[in-house]
Amino acid sequence: MVSTKLYAAIYVVLFVGATAQVVVEFAGYVENAYWLAFGLIMVLSVFKAVVVAGWYQHLRFEPRSLSYLMLTALAAALALTLAAAYSIT
Amino acid sequence: MTDTDTNDIETDGGHAEAAGELEAGHDDGHLPAYGSLKRWLVTTNHKDIGILYLATATFYFVFGGVLALLFRLALVAPAESSATALLSGMAYNQAVSAHGLIMIFWFISPFAFGFANYIVPLQIGAKDLAFPRLNALSYWLYATSGLLFLVSFFQGTTYAGGWTMYAPLNVPVYTPEVGTTAAVLALLMFVVSVTVSSVNFLTTMHRMRADGLTLRNLPVFTWSILLTVWMMLFAFAALLAGLMILSADRLLGTTYFISTGGSVLWTHLFWFFGHPEVYIVFFPALGIMAETFQTFTGRRLVGRKWFIASMVLVALQSFLVWMHHMFLTSINLQIKTLFMATTIGISLPFDLMMFSLIYTMIKGRIRFTTPFLFSLGALVLFIVGGITGVFLGAVVLDYEFRGTYWVVAHFHYVMLGGGTALFAGLYYWFPKITGKMYDEFLGKAHFVVYFVGFNLLYFPQFVVWETPRRVFNYPPEFAIWHQLSTVGAFVLGLSFLIMFYNFATSYFDGADADGNPWTYATTAEWAVPSPPPLENFPGLPSYASGKLDFLEPTAAADGGSTVAETDGGVAHAEEEHVDHASIWPFAIGVTAVITALGLAGFRQGVPNDPTINPLYSAIAVVGGIALLVSLFAMGRETFVGPDGGFGEAWPFAGIENTKTGVWIFLASDVVLFGAFIGSYIFMRVAAPGGWVEWHGIVEDVIPGLMNTYILLTSSFTVVLALVAARKESRIGLVASLTATLLLGLGFLGNKAIEWNHLFHEGYGLSTGIEASTFFLTTGLHAAHVIAGLVITVYLIWRAWGGAYLGDDRPVEYFGLYWHFVDIVWLFLFPLFYIL
Repeated sequence: MVSTKLYAAIYVVLFVGATAQVVVEFAGYVENAYWLAFGLIMVLSVFKAVVVAGWYQHLRFEPRSLSYLMLTALAAALALTLAAAYSIT
Repeated sequence: MTDTDTNDIETDGGHAEAAGELEAGHDDGHLPAYGSLKRWLVTTNHKDIGILYLATATFYFVFGGVLALLFRLALVAPAESSATALLSGMAYNQAVSAHGLIMIFWFISPFAFGFANYIVPLQIGAKDLAFPRLNALSYWLYATSGLLFLVSFFQGTTYAGGWTMYAPLNVPVYTPEVGTTAAVLALLMFVVSVTVSSVNFLTTMHRMRADGLTLRNLPVFTWSILLTVWMMLFAFAALLAGLMILSADRLLGTTYFISTGGSVLWTHLFWFFGHPEVYIVFFPALGIMAETFQTFTGRRLVGRKWFIASMVLVALQSFLVWMHHMFLTSINLQIKTLFMATTIGISLPFDLMMFSLIYTMIKGRIRFTTPFLFSLGALVLFIVGGITGVFLGAVVLDYEFRGTYWVVAHFHYVMLGGGTALFAGLYYWFPKITGKMYDEFLGKAHFVVYFVGFNLLYFPQFVVWETPRRVFNYPPEFAIWHQLSTVGAFVLGLSFLIMFYNFATSYFDGADADGNPWTYATTAEWAVPSPPPLENFPGLPSYASGKLDFLEPTAAADGGSTVAETDGGVAHAEEEHVDHASIWPFAIGVTAVITALGLAGFRQGVPNDPTINPLYSAIAVVGGIALLVSLFAMGRETFVGPDGGFGEAWPFAGIENTKTGVWIFLASDVVLFGAFIGSYIFMRVAAPGGWVEWHGIVEDVIPGLMNTYILLTSSFTVVLALVAARKESRIGLVASLTATLLLGLGFLGNKAIEWNHLFHEGYGLSTGIEASTFFLTTGLHAAHVIAGLVITVYLIWRAWGGAYLGDDRPVEYFGLYWHFVDIVWLFLFPLFYIL
C-alpha cells in the first residue's frame, strides 16, 4: 500500500491537470486550434482517469483481471459510441 | 467422506458419486415450510428463487400467449378497417406490442433464469448464490415490474408502438397515455433487476466453484449461463441508458428522440442491446440442448472445447453486429457493408455448434425421452430459423424482407424454436426439482402436438411473407395461410394443457425420482437427492481428486473457517451459519413498483403543457419514502451469506465476493455512462452543422472547474478515510468521511446554483437537444453523487459507533464507487464545459 504522501502528491497532480485543461481554453486554443485543443484536453482527462483508477482505486495493485474487466466495459462503450457516430450520413 | 454411492458416473468436472440414498429431507432451519405463503415471500434460497422464477415466467408466458391467440383470431380474415376487425386498431397494436414485450422480457429469459438459479449453484458446487438477498431482490423486481406492465393496460393504453419501441413513436407527442409511460418504467425496473442478477451470477460463477472445477471443466449448461450473464451485464446497460433517456423524454420533457438524429439514436441504443439479447435468450437453451444430448445419447459432446470456444466467440461477436437491424435507417452504406460482413461471420461458430450436436447424436445411442425430443425439435427449428436469418443479414435482401412476415417467422423459429429447448429443460429437471417423475407418454404427446402446432403456426408465414408486419390487414389471397397459422397457434397453445396436466398429476401421484433418474446424467446436481437439501451438499464439494467428493468440514471453536483433512483431500470449511430468509427484497420490490406507478402519471402533457397529477404524485412520494425505508432496513439487517474463494475463483482469486461484485457493477456502470456520453456525442455529430457548430448552453467554465476541484478533493478525503480506518483512528475516519460529505454537498450546491442560473437565462430541459443532453447527463452524474452521499451518511453513523476499524472493507468498496463517479466527471467537465 502506498503512503499518504504519495496520495497527496497524486491529488496535486490531478488538481494541476484539471487546471491545465482550463488553461488550454483560456490560452485560446479552443477558439483557434479546436482539434489540437480537443486532443490535449482529452489526453489530460484520460491521464487523470488512469491515475485515479490506478492509485485511488488501487487497480495498479490488484489482479490484472479487474483492469481487463473495466477495459472490456470501456471497449463496449467506445464501440457503441464510435460506430454510431460514424454511421451518420 | 459423507457421500454414498448409488451410481459411479463421469461428470463434466470429473467423477460424481450420486447420493441416491442420502436423506432427501429438508433442513429448512428458520425458513417457514414450503406450504406457507410466508416462505415464498422471505426466501433467499437459490432453489426457491428458481422455482419462483419458473412459476412467474410461466404465468407471463400464458398471458403473452393469450394475447397472441387474440390477434391471431383477428387475423383469420383480412380487416379492411379497424371497424370490421375483431380487435380495434389500437387494441391490435397493444396486443401485438405487449405480446412481444412480455414474451421477450418477462417470459423467455426469466424462464431460463429459473433453471440458472436452481441448477448453476448445484453444478458448480456452491451452497447458494454469492448474494442471496440480491438474488431475491432481482426476482421481486422482475415479478413486480411485470405486474406494473399488466396494470398499464388499465391506464389508457399500454405500449402500442411495437416491442422495439422505435422513436419517435415512443415519445408523448404520439403516445401520450399514462399506461405507455408505465410500460416503459416497468421495463426499466426489469432491466435494473437484470443488472442486479448479472452482478450476482458473475460473482458466484467466478468465485464460488468447487475446488478443481476449472472453467475448462465447467458443465456446458453453466458455461452457457456464464456467457449469457456476461452479455447481459453489458447489453442491458445500453438498454438501461435508452430507457432512462426515454423516461426523461416522457416525464421530464427532454428532447432526445424528437431531435435530429433522435430516431436513429434509439435504434443504436436498442439494438446494441437487442442483438446480444438474441443470444441471451438462446444460449441457455443451447446449454440445455448440450446437456440433454449428452445425457440421452450417453456420449460426451463431440468437440466439447470447440463448442465452448464457439459460444465465447459468439458472445464477443454479438456486440459487433447490431446495425444489421438498421439497414433501412439512414446509416451510411459503408457501415451497412461492414455489419453485413460481421453478421455473416457470426453464423460460422453456430455452424460448428450445430454440427457438434448432430455428431453427438451420430456417435451416441439415442434414447428418445421427452427432454431429448424437445431438444432435438429445438435443433431442427433453430436451423430453419438460422438459415432464414441469413437472408436478413444481407443488405439488399433485407431491403425486401424488412417489415414483412419473413422477419416474424424467422424471429419465432429462432427465439421460440431455440426456446423449445427450455421445455426440454423443464422435463429434464422436473424430477430433480419435485422429486417426482413425470408421465413419459404424456410428455411425448405434448412434444408431438407442440411441434405440429409450432410449424403450422409459423411456417405458413414464410409462404405469405409479403404480409406487412404489425398490421392487421393483408391481401385477401393470403387468407388461407393466415387461417392455417391461427389453427397452429391454438394447437401450440393447447399443447401446454397436456404439460400442465402431466406435471400436476405427476407432482401429486407420480413415482418418486431418484437422485439421478437418468442413466448417463453427468453433472453434479444429479449427485444429490431429488429435491436437494437446503444447502445442497452433504459436505464441501471438491473435484481435486479428479472425481466429485464431498469433504467433511470440522467446526473451529471460534466459529471461523477451518481446514479438515479428509480422505478426499483438504477442505476449507465455511462458517456454520448461513441465512436464508429476509423480507426486505420483497418489500423493496413492492415499494419500487408503487413508486414507478406514481412516477408514470405524475406529470402529463410533457413537454408542451405539463400538469402535475396530485394522485399519482402522492403515490410516487409515499412509494419513494417506503422504498428508502426498505433499502435502509435491508442495509441494517444482519444477514450472513455464503463465502467464496473456497475453491476455483479464476480470474478473481484473492478478490473477495463483495469487492468482485462492486467491480462488476462498476463495469456495467461504465457502459451506462458510456451510452449516455455516446448519446451526447451522437446527437452532437448528427446535429445541423455537426460537432463544431454545436452551441453548448454553458458559457462559463469556472463553475465546472470548481466542481472538478471539489470532486477531486473528495476523492482524496475518501482515500484518507481508508488510511484512517487502517490505522484504526476513529476520529480520523469520521473526520475524513464528514469532509467527503461536505464536499459532496458543496458539489451539489454549486450545481444547483449553476442550474438555477441557467433556468433564469431561459434554458430548461425542453429548450433543445443541447440543453437536454447537458441537464440529463450531468443530472445522472449528480444522482450518482447523491446516492454516494446517502452511503456516506450511513458510513459516518456506523463509524461514529466504532465500526470499520477492524474491517475497513466497506470504506474501501464505497471508495471504489466514489472514485468512479469522480472519473466520470473528469470526462463530463471538458465535454460539456470546455469543448
